[in-house]
Amino acid sequence: MSTLLAGAVSAGKHSLDLSLAQQITVVVLCALTALISHMALAVFNDGVRPFMLDFIQGNSTRNATTAVSFGLSAGFIFGLGAPMALSTGVLNPWLLFLPTDVLGILSPKKWIAPLLGGAWGAVIIFGLNGANEVAHDLPVDFLTAMQEMSTPILFLFTLFPVLAITRQFGKLRGAVAGVVELALVIVTMKLWPDVFPGAPAMAVGVVTLIGFAVAKDMRQRRAERAEKAAAEPDEQGGDASQQDVPVDDPMQSLFSASAARLRRHLPIFMVLGAGVCLLAQMHVFGGGEATSFLIADGDYAGAAQVDFYRVFGFIPLIATTALASGAYAIAGFTFVYPVGYLLPSPWLALLAGAAIFAVEVLALSWIGKVLGRLPSVRDSSEHLRNAISESLWLAILFGSLLAANTMGGGLGILIVGGLYLLNEAMGRVVVRMAAAPAAVLVGGVLLNLLHWLDLFTPVKG
Amino acid sequence: MTRILTGGVGKAQVAEELGELGIGGLEITVSSDMEAAMKLRAGQADYYLGTCHTGAGASLGVLLGVLGSGTCHTFGRRVPTEEDVAELLDSGKKVFGFGMDQICDTAPVIARAIAARNA
Repeated sequence: MSTLLAGAVSAGKHSLDLSLAQQITVVVLCALTALISHMALAVFNDGVRPFMLDFIQGNSTRNATTAVSFGLSAGFIFGLGAPMALSTGVLNPWLLFLPTDVLGILSPKKWIAPLLGGAWGAVIIFGLNGANEVAHDLPVDFLTAMQEMSTPILFLFTLFPVLAITRQFGKLRGAVAGVVELALVIVTMKLWPDVFPGAPAMAVGVVTLIGFAVAKDMRQRRAERAEKAAAEPDEQGGDASQQDVPVDDPMQSLFSASAARLRRHLPIFMVLGAGVCLLAQMHVFGGGEATSFLIADGDYAGAAQVDFYRVFGFIPLIATTALASGAYAIAGFTFVYPVGYLLPSPWLALLAGAAIFAVEVLALSWIGKVLGRLPSVRDSSEHLRNAISESLWLAILFGSLLAANTMGGGLGILIVGGLYLLNEAMGRVVVRMAAAPAAVLVGGVLLNLLHWLDLFTPVKG
Repeated sequence: MTRILTGGVGKAQVAEELGELGIGGLEITVSSDMEAAMKLRAGQADYYLGTCHTGAGASLGVLLGVLGSGTCHTFGRRVPTEEDVAELLDSGKKVFGFGMDQICDTAPVIARAIAARNA
């Protein structure tokens, strides 16, 4: 705990201004992702991906698909990506890749897509650098206050496997998992003070959840086989027929056509993987919902852990949407994020990113088949993602209020908490996850205005 | 009995939410996208409500591919009115996706529209 706080203090000074090499990387990568989206090879928005099938098959027009893409992405660009980036000074995929999804699909000609994508990248760099410079010079520095966020995120995120286990496998197993995780956190703090205390607990939690799910599916399959063997002598067909063929032909043929389409474009996916991994390696980009705060704080190992476990919640979603649509994800299974954060050199990141994407695309068909046989494991991933949202929601809300307290004491809490509640009352204009950081941002600006009007004195000089 | 399947990230919450409404004539089962796609296709279920962050990815995913865009609709993160849903039901939509942070607002609207249609 004390090491974490010390880390936060020492990292408080470091600047997130992008170097020239980083700026070029962002522009080129945005150009590439827009091109890939134009070619309907991959989109970042998991919700848009299913709609790509009709587009690829020529059943829906470029304009209609653009409308879907914009409709599903706008809230996340302005309600998640932008406030997150402005409040942390770190780039995120919602801000970079959702717009390039839209711009790529929108482009009527292939050559226009990379131009629009690159231009978007340039706009972001310019805007974020400017905003960062201004923010750090203000009397009430909300970017530094935002670093309060990392402790609640790291510690509450530790519990997400427990929430998932409870929801999927009931109170008893959930309670046991909770006790085991807590014990592991305490033991880790005592025995290995240098390790993030939640790391072993999270690992054990995720493995336990997947273990429960696999065991359940195995039992189910055995039971079905026994039932089938028992039913065989009497009669065939009837009610049991649907149990025998859990994944039937239309789905299988859809999946294999999509996998084949993606395999044909393996080289461009390898370039994409290299690019995303390189961006993560530069430590100016946070892939997950919580990671931006950790990257801003300079805690790359923590960021890598959080995003590594997050991957397990996303593999089935990304695999099934990709196999059902024939379009892959811009960040793949997002394994490139944690690998990128940890790699020491950009060259290694390029190689690793390309290799990871190659493996992912080639394994897609196989992953789809395995997942088809493991319904509980797919279930687990949905519970995991839900648990991630729940734990991060509380952590980010609490962290935002801590930041508000650092910025402006009671008045800060009133403004930030008030804005959060107002957003709730208005039907969540801003995505829940980003509402509190966005409130800190607005609160920070407001407190600076009040200071300028001589109505407020910053808590700490 | 109208058979409604729930799926996606907030599948349990949607089922809970609908259960609490206590609307008669609805049978609500927690399912998954792949299973639901097959059941709807075989006529073993009537409607599917899917949820995820966007309201379309995990919630519609496979269903859109297997059942086609004619039966699927996403509200995204928008909260529909009962009239919106009734209109969509009239046009043959059976699969609905919506944002998981709008479950409390959207799920009951859809369920009421479905129940009203069957009444």
